[in-house]
Amino acid sequence: MNSNPHNAMNSGSGPNSGPNSGDDTLRLIAGLPAPAGLEERVHKALRAAPRSGRILAWPAGFRAKTALESNWMRAAAAAAIVFVVVGGGWGVYSRVQPGPAGKVIVMPQRMPSSGGFSGAGAIRTPATIPGPKVTDQGTKGAREQGTQTAKKPAAPKKAATGQHPASAPTPQPAVSQQSATRPSSRP
Amino acid sequence: MEIPTSAVNEEARRRAEDAAISALVDQYAGALYRVAYSVLRNPSDAEDAVQEAFLRVLRHRDTLTEVRNHRVWLIRIVWNIVLDRKRRAKTRPETDDVSELARVLPSTGLSAEELAAAAQHHARVLACVEQLPAKEREVLLLSAFEELTSVEIAAVLGITESSVRSRLFRARNLMAELINHERH
Repeated sequence: MNSNPHNAMNSGSGPNSGPNSGDDTLRLIAGLPAPAGLEERVHKALRAAPRSGRILAWPAGFRAKTALESNWMRAAAAAAIVFVVVGGGWGVYSRVQPGPAGKVIVMPQRMPSSGGFSGAGAIRTPATIPGPKVTDQGTKGAREQGTQTAKKPAAPKKAATGQHPASAPTPQPAVSQQSATRPSSRP
Repeated sequence: MEIPTSAVNEEARRRAEDAAISALVDQYAGALYRVAYSVLRNPSDAEDAVQEAFLRVLRHRDTLTEVRNHRVWLIRIVWNIVLDRKRRAKTRPETDDVSELARVLPSTGLSAEELAAAAQHHARVLACVEQLPAKEREVLLLSAFEELTSVEIAAVLGITESSVRSRLFRARNLMAELINHERH
């Protein structure tokens, strides 16, 4: 009975396909003929069913009259709906009274700062404004002389006689002798 | 008086849909009845399920052109209807199955006693089918229909073809165990 080669029941894949698995009973039931007149009864049920699935419909007498004017009626109904919605919205909008002004707290103006810290009005002065000082050769020689004259004089030898250092003759500085013998560099 | 083009198109489309539904009724009402009867096992309930299935088709007739396989689509509709009805209905006593099977089984060449014995045997088998898990039972019932391939059964149940085969294998093993247990 079962002649479809692609049917799993026909493939014999199960180890118990046969009378023990109840296949014959199920095939017998699956092959039972439909009762006579089934199609006619289904057709009748379909004809008796409501044709339109609309929830709202025009009355029967009014429907025949307006069948040909349905487009005009739809446009009018849509316009009426738009008018009612817009009019209602405008009515609500026009009745809204402006409320009392609320308390306004003036907040201090914040300093516009990118990093959160301000410079406190400090102005940065570059170190290059005074300019470099140029020294000439003359001042250099004089500076060298100054350093030589500023040399600490040699400590006077103590007198072996045991004189008081205050009564001993003051030694002449060697620098003065040198400056006397050296020719002056200045003209 | 001028008739608008849209009204003509609407009327033509409605007539085409009615003709398509009538053709579906003539072609598939019997198959749908057998599917419904295999689950419900009551002629009037099965016929009601078929009518409800076509009423659903009538309600969704706008989608008829989008359906690829009308047979599988209709079987899926009636399958959902009968499963829903069976879920809501109370469990039928086995004596109903025996009397119903004795009435509908072919009695050619069988005596009254043989027919009664065959009806009892089939009723026991159907009782074993009822004890199967739902997934295995559904596959086993649908696989008994020669019109349906494994791919179509998979499409009706919304599963893969390999699942159909594995469920059928398990169902047959369970059925063999149940029937052997009934005998002993």
